[in-house]
Amino acid sequence: MKTIIIIIAFMLTAPMYAIDNTQLLKEIDRNLQPESYESYRKLINIEPDGSKKEYTLFFVKKGVDKVMALFLSPASENGRSMLRLGDNMWLYIPNVGKPIRLTSLQSVTGGLFNNADIMLLDYTVEYNVEKVEEKGNEYLLYLKAKTKTVAYDKVKLWADKNKKFPTKIECLTETDMLIKTLYFKDVKDFGGGVVRPSVIETISPLYKGYKSVMVFAKIKEKDFKDEVFTLTFMPNIESLR
Amino acid sequence: MIKWICILYFVLYPLSLTFAGEEYTFDISEIEKKPYHFGGYAEFKPILLGLNKDAAFYKLKFYNRNEAGTIKEYDAALQLDASLEKDIAKIFIRTNTGYKNSYLGETQETVIYEGFLSLKPSSSVTINAGKKTLLWGKGYAWNPAAFVDRPKNPDDPELNIEGYIIAAADYIKSFDSPLKTFSFTPVIIPVYKHVNDNFGEPDKLNFAGKVYLLLYDTDIDFISLSDGSKTTRYGMDFSMNITANLEIHGEFAFINDYKKQFIDDKGNIFENRYNAKSYLIGTRYLTEHNDTFIFEYYRNGTGFTKNEMQNYFSFINNAYDSYLSSGGDTFIKRGLNITKGNYDRINPMRDYIYMRISRKDPFDILYFTPAVTAMSNINDGSFTLSPELLYTGITNLDLRFKTAFISGERVSEYRQKQNNYRIEFRVRYYF
Repeated sequence: MKTIIIIIAFMLTAPMYAIDNTQLLKEIDRNLQPESYESYRKLINIEPDGSKKEYTLFFVKKGVDKVMALFLSPASENGRSMLRLGDNMWLYIPNVGKPIRLTSLQSVTGGLFNNADIMLLDYTVEYNVEKVEEKGNEYLLYLKAKTKTVAYDKVKLWADKNKKFPTKIECLTETDMLIKTLYFKDVKDFGGGVVRPSVIETISPLYKGYKSVMVFAKIKEKDFKDEVFTLTFMPNIESLR
Repeated sequence: MIKWICILYFVLYPLSLTFAGEEYTFDISEIEKKPYHFGGYAEFKPILLGLNKDAAFYKLKFYNRNEAGTIKEYDAALQLDASLEKDIAKIFIRTNTGYKNSYLGETQETVIYEGFLSLKPSSSVTINAGKKTLLWGKGYAWNPAAFVDRPKNPDDPELNIEGYIIAAADYIKSFDSPLKTFSFTPVIIPVYKHVNDNFGEPDKLNFAGKVYLLLYDTDIDFISLSDGSKTTRYGMDFSMNITANLEIHGEFAFINDYKKQFIDDKGNIFENRYNAKSYLIGTRYLTEHNDTFIFEYYRNGTGFTKNEMQNYFSFINNAYDSYLSSGGDTFIKRGLNITKGNYDRINPMRDYIYMRISRKDPFDILYFTPAVTAMSNINDGSFTLSPELLYTGITNLDLRFKTAFISGERVSEYRQKQNNYRIEFRVRYYF
């Protein structure tokens, strides 16, 4: 009888843990990015000799899986825009004149950030939580990609227990090979209740000595029409600023 | 010891803060929106061309000239983009000024590539009027369904091309269903004297349209062009991602009552009318080593058969021999007439393969992209091979070194081109 009760208790609590884990990831997602917002980002690629290349982007997001970005500088990239709807990603180059499909593993900026890093969706859209461990003041979430089209097969996400946003993320292949590590730094109050890390630093064992940094500014909650997140609208994203 | 540690701490800690501050500055003035925009690029491109004096296209172009085995050319271009935005209205203009210093002397030309007024009363509706490029289709090197565009150059598909004067609108609707996006783009293309007069038959008002669907995870376009300056055309295309590093796309075009003019080896000109079907299937694949493969097969339903092309080459060779023996250029001029806009199309025959392999940042050199592009005519086995090196490590400066070599049987499309090889270096500065 005791055994049966234990089994029943386990069966009842196991799904609850799964729900809690997913709920935890949802909270982390929400603390990292408001559901709908606009922001500006600077991507800095730093080479081993210290030389840098910078890109500035205007970025908008709606819901959990709609994001769009416009390159503001340098001049060679000005006017380019990227759209991501779930697994689908496109790049609009004014010279080419029409959106072309991208894959998430490509990188339009070079450096360590690939397109999936730049056009980050909520983690709950792309990953299931396999398990959660508590490590001192942090949670360690083991995430597994929901489909083959996701950029990283596995992700280890360390999150601050109190603030519930990431402090470190490791991106891994199916065979547990480390592709890159993202460090979330410099927590900043952006106003409107948005408090989150303002800098993401990335290093990769595959590119020793290289570093890519993403700096955030002017994060502001804002709602957009669904029609904004379409290929036809891509040449007009500047009108949202 | 503790004292030294404290001193080091107080010296190094502020230094590290300064370094971090310097590294990650974000100047808000950089992102302030201005109502106007001005930009563009300037480029300089010296070119060395190795002539093939046995080729039909060399004989046609140089029949009355005596050039050396190689010719040099110095090209320069200035492309200017400007826009002005106020409320829902935006004016955009793009001009291209080309300068060429070649064996023919100096030439300079300024063309307005685009110049239009755009009104955006809501995020669902855009109205455009003026000169604009539409660039329909999903193919990278070719776009058989781009009925309202000038053909792009598959040797450099990302170059800007000149638009047509049009009036167009975009209507967009998003859904929370398998059909995620619907958009409709109706277009009016007037063709009159001095207005789009190279689009087709003059004094006609042409109507075109495109319906775009994002259905599940696939882009699908349905395209049409009404009977007018050109015969009726229907097209469709699609594009989708299979995995995170594999994309496939395709394009199909049906051209009603296409008129093909061709010449036999004796100089008799024939005309054939038929319904032409062109299509393209392609893929883009990214490997773990950052190699990008682009592969496309193109069936050009409006192209010439191998036999028709060989007859053309025979006629040009005969016309050239006739010119050499008699000094009369009647046949050469007939050849020039039938060639223009017909045999001199970038891909005049039926079946082609395009393949481009590029590797990003090899040998740990960031912003360095070597690539090789091959374009092959399946019908006669001839091909062109273009290796290139691109470096974009200096902000706003692109440096590209590109060469092209041809190969194939003596009487084949690429072997009958004017040049055996081409070497160019392009410096482009964006501002």
